[in-house]
Amino acid sequence: MVRLLLRHLGQTLLATWLLASVVFLLTRADGEQAVRLALAPAADLSMPAVSQAEELASRAAARHRLGLDRPLFYVGCSAAGSWEWGGWHNQYHQWLRALLHGNLGTSFRSGELVSHRLAQALAFTLPLTGLAAVLAILAALVLATGMAAFPRWQGPVRTVLVGLHSVPLFIVALALLLLFANPELLNWFPAYGAAPEVGTHALKQFFDALPQLVLPVAALVLAAVPELTLQLASALAHELRQPYIVTARAKGLRASAVVRHHALRNALLPTLAQLAELLPAMAAGAVVVETIFALPGMGRLLAEAAATRDYPLLVGGVLLVGLARLLSLLLADLSYSWADPRIRWKA
Amino acid sequence: MLLGSCLDKHAPPAAIRIRWAHDPETLAPLALQNQSAMDASNLMYLSLLQVNSKPLSIEPALAEQLPEVGPRGDSLTTFRYTIRPNAAWDDGRPVTAADVACTLKLMSCPGIPNEISRNNYSRIRQIELNPANSRQFTLVCQGQSPELLLISGDFFILPEAVLDPQHRLRSYSLPALQRWPATRPPDSALAAVARQYQAADLANHPEHAPGCGPYRLARWEKDRYLSFRSKPNWWGKATTGLPLALQARAPQLDYLIIPNASAAALALRRGDLDVFPQVPAADFNRFSTNPSADVRLYASDSYDIALAGFNTKRPALADALTRQALSRLFDTAGLLRGTQQGRGQRTAGLVPPFDRTNYNDSLRPVPYHPAAARALLLQAGWQPPTAGQPGWRRASSRGEQKLQLAVRYRSSDELFATAALQFRAAATSLGIAVELRPTESALFGKALADGDFDIFMRTLHGNPFAVNFAPLLHSGTSSETNSTRFGNPACDQFIDAVATANDSPQRVRQLRQLQALLQQQAPLVPFFFLANRVAARRDCQGLYVSSLKPGFVAPTIERTAAAASR
Repeated sequence: MVRLLLRHLGQTLLATWLLASVVFLLTRADGEQAVRLALAPAADLSMPAVSQAEELASRAAARHRLGLDRPLFYVGCSAAGSWEWGGWHNQYHQWLRALLHGNLGTSFRSGELVSHRLAQALAFTLPLTGLAAVLAILAALVLATGMAAFPRWQGPVRTVLVGLHSVPLFIVALALLLLFANPELLNWFPAYGAAPEVGTHALKQFFDALPQLVLPVAALVLAAVPELTLQLASALAHELRQPYIVTARAKGLRASAVVRHHALRNALLPTLAQLAELLPAMAAGAVVVETIFALPGMGRLLAEAAATRDYPLLVGGVLLVGLARLLSLLLADLSYSWADPRIRWKA
Repeated sequence: MLLGSCLDKHAPPAAIRIRWAHDPETLAPLALQNQSAMDASNLMYLSLLQVNSKPLSIEPALAEQLPEVGPRGDSLTTFRYTIRPNAAWDDGRPVTAADVACTLKLMSCPGIPNEISRNNYSRIRQIELNPANSRQFTLVCQGQSPELLLISGDFFILPEAVLDPQHRLRSYSLPALQRWPATRPPDSALAAVARQYQAADLANHPEHAPGCGPYRLARWEKDRYLSFRSKPNWWGKATTGLPLALQARAPQLDYLIIPNASAAALALRRGDLDVFPQVPAADFNRFSTNPSADVRLYASDSYDIALAGFNTKRPALADALTRQALSRLFDTAGLLRGTQQGRGQRTAGLVPPFDRTNYNDSLRPVPYHPAAARALLLQAGWQPPTAGQPGWRRASSRGEQKLQLAVRYRSSDELFATAALQFRAAATSLGIAVELRPTESALFGKALADGDFDIFMRTLHGNPFAVNFAPLLHSGTSSETNSTRFGNPACDQFIDAVATANDSPQRVRQLRQLQALLQQQAPLVPFFFLANRVAARRDCQGLYVSSLKPGFVAPTIERTAAAASR
């Protein structure tokens, strides 16, 4: 088991490095966009005229400041079309060396440490997505076992879930907003993550923030529950047709006990992959919900980093989400080994 | 309990809460990249001059009065300033001419993120201090145009005592720093100044350095909110006749980052927000048709113009007749009604119609007239489509030309998405093939700079004090700003004349002639000037709506109750 774990961990680290390297090289190859965006907006009727020489000088200064004037990689293609050695001071080498020291670099736009910016965003995202994930799993378990125990409800519940699953998340979020944060309908919840009073205690700020999380969490739960429930209900329905369930029933167990104690563990096997998927989703945030409810989470941060070509922030975010995804795959593998002895024996 | 806490109604806070769609990202005073950053810096720092909203004029801020202006030779202008005697930094030090000199030198110091300021203020060529008066100095600027007044005084003054305490920059002249090549590394003294500047981290912690503006940054949570508190002992409180923006009546200003306009509208109705500037037309219309007792609506003109432009380097669009023809396929009146609910002003040129002095009122906005467009195309030598040959064709010395158009616009911009669809419908009715290319915002700028379009649509920003067509339409400017690649000797002559004229009536005459010439040449199709729309809670008073960005004056707003008790 330990060897298996170590092998998986090694593969995960290798895959993460490859992923981050590819993203780094792809984004930096488009470095001129970042330089263009670092300078003033291109056209303004009140803008002073800038000569071609001044324009070029500004670009060169911005390129130098952002570290984009160095060779991208150890080897590169020269203007003449031949391969040439880029030296050890290339952008990739510097980035990798800093990464090994735990430094993800500084944001092109704000000059802040990327790790600090990601930590700030995660502090908002994890409570939001984590709470939504837990509630969605619980709701899916309750609904799926309920559908298995009360088959006559399967049709209507399935119809509702399929209908909900077909509605895009932004419509669900906007509908919740317009329904529950609207003075003309139900004025129950705030429309956005309001600013706390300056100087208030952190605990008070946390409790003040709770009402602001209700609608975003509800939107995420409503988006996640149908898929989880339908998958689990289908797996349960399959398990309930198996001979060992007939045996359990023949022993005189109640329908709910048969589901909970016999069918559920086996039915969870195909759902494990879905549950593992929740980990990277938790780290990546939910850009739609964060934008609609004005929450400063990872989704918005990464979307804006991509739009503004803030490559260090973008690569840092991709590294984090990629790591979470690979870890989730590792967890899924280990969970399968734990849940299904046949897999363990084969390994 | 949760619901109870949600429904619990609190008394309105002392802070005035204003919506921003985006975080300013950085508050580095030499690298302000967006309007939010500009608005925030306006609260913390002061410039020598300030554009006042009511009346619309340039007024002294840090300067005691408007500068004494005089020509020097035939190509330079001098501006002699004196700083107000009571102007002081938060730490009590007086604001002096040395601070102004330090700021100007920081704009050109290598190793500092100052590219934007360096370009914007490169026309200030020298600063001459008065040894007899530490508050007096003279700026020497390149050129003799009236716009130089604003350039000479419209930059935030930074404290030398914090950013260059060893006075290293004093040993460098401004021209020496301006001539410093971008690729040449800074010497040890300049490198030390750059390190000192970076260590101050004004981009993220402007509160680390003293300011001389009426507010200080109390808290900033990125992508969430910024809170500014007025300084109880600010020097300006004892000064009369300050511009509106410096009358700090609001004790606290909270800028809340709410990207979604619907959420902002609901927050305003709920009382979680006080001011919603730049309200989208649809939301403003909803407020108008479904009025709330608690919300008041304001509208004014703005200097933002929506327009389309042609890539004049494309052979098919190189002649004015073809561009004039295609201009007649934009239904600007319909677009104004459909997308802006009729608010805004159609225009014949880049000068707004409400600028009665400069606007050429003998011109009429280009009409929507597909039949006239067809006639003009025939006049330009184009052959209409036939059964065997779809599309318009024209013989030229380089072979046959086809009239096929790729239209680029920002995919996030609903106005131009509608305009593009309308244009395609009109063009298709004439048999012209149009391909719509909605483009991501950053790529849009690149596509324009690279000339990867036939027609583009965008919004341009302006202000009443500086009208400069050179970056947009002069043949000598780069494609980074002159997206149409337009260049015409007669237009160049007028653009140069307008930029350098210091005789007002002559300048007005030339500006009007330029508008007529541009309408005839049609490199751009001006649609309309957009309206500035603001919605605010009724218990906020002292809200001055203005055609200047950001469309209103924040520091003068206060709650009715607070105003009554004052």
